[in-house]
Amino acid sequence: MDKCTECYACFRSSICPTDAIKESALVWPRSLRPFFGSVQIEHKETRVPGRGTEEMKTNDVTGRFGYDKIGFSVDIGRPGVGTTFDDVEKIAMAVAKTGAEFEPMNPVTFFMADKKTGRIRDDVKTEKIHSCVLEFTIRLDRLPKAVNALAEVSKEVDTVFSVGCCCKVSPDGTILGKRILEENSIFHRPNGKTNVGLGKPHAEIR
Amino acid sequence: MTAVTHTLHRRGNVESLSDDYVILVMSAKGINDKGSAEKLKRALEIAARHNAVNFGDMKNGNLFRVGSKVVFDGIRDTSIVHAVYTNKKDLCESLADLKEADLGMSVVVSGLFDEVSGCLETIGMKPHTVQFSLGIFGKQDLLPKEEILEITTMCGHHQVSPLLVQKLLNDVRRGKVSPEEAGRTLAKQCVCGVFNPVRATRLLCALMER
Repeated sequence: MDKCTECYACFRSSICPTDAIKESALVWPRSLRPFFGSVQIEHKETRVPGRGTEEMKTNDVTGRFGYDKIGFSVDIGRPGVGTTFDDVEKIAMAVAKTGAEFEPMNPVTFFMADKKTGRIRDDVKTEKIHSCVLEFTIRLDRLPKAVNALAEVSKEVDTVFSVGCCCKVSPDGTILGKRILEENSIFHRPNGKTNVGLGKPHAEIR
Repeated sequence: MTAVTHTLHRRGNVESLSDDYVILVMSAKGINDKGSAEKLKRALEIAARHNAVNFGDMKNGNLFRVGSKVVFDGIRDTSIVHAVYTNKKDLCESLADLKEADLGMSVVVSGLFDEVSGCLETIGMKPHTVQFSLGIFGKQDLLPKEEILEITTMCGHHQVSPLLVQKLLNDVRRGKVSPEEAGRTLAKQCVCGVFNPVRATRLLCALMER
């Protein structure tokens, strides 16, 4: 039971022929697990809907990511390993030192005791969760520092994490973030996400 | 659990990912979400008719779990709808129709950057914002084999267990289910409908030959 992240994939799959798998009533802090584990549950205690935010997906409308910043999303515990907030704190504190500004609407930020340093509240630190997304922005020129910090702290955690970074494409088609990744020989996959700019009203991007 | 990066970290090399494209359509909370349900429904109708091999919405489920009617009937202002394609042609035609429909909803494509950029160029569009995957950091020895990850990471919320993949692979080997049935069973697990059952079937067949 300690390792169960309350993702409820077992319920949805109807895997048990005798219906022996039962959902149990959860008390705090375990009750936060489904919030980070089950796709279809929003947690009442945090009052922050979802595992993360709209991030770059609506950037054409929100203008959240301009030309001078990089948005990071660090999926801690993904893929499929799970994590504890102890490890989340290690990663958050490592990137905070490089100038990361944590996304205020993100649920992980909600659980921070100190949103500058990335320190996590003591009452949730040992909880095992399916995965969570640490979201932060950083100045474009600090991208390599943030990646280095993530690489260093990856040696100290007892899990895996998947790292994503997003940036606005310049009007001439230049992708400054990609240029920095390549100049610093930072690995990035050939596939990723592209917001194609069909959202309206168009945000003014600076 | 809102989708943030759920289609970003799909694994595989360029060849393996060449039959895997996902479209996501959503409104922005507090900006253009009011009354967006009909637009999202229209968007999914457009996206689905271009030979989508899966579609769905996070709150209601996907084509294989709840069926088309439930997915469409359940679309709300806050829904995030998805559709999956196995080739660039279907993706391009879907995007062209979404552009023509001018619904004002944000559209995000997941797939090989070079292919997606080429597609946008042919229909007179440009990328607005891009998101890169820098890969997996940390204790790699905790992960299943890469060929299993190629399948399971098609569900970004990781609702597709590596053990289920292994079980279905054994079932296919014993002739209990076809590779196609196994692909559809795996797709059921991914609530959002971003899992590509056709690619999964291909990957399972490749694993069979090893």
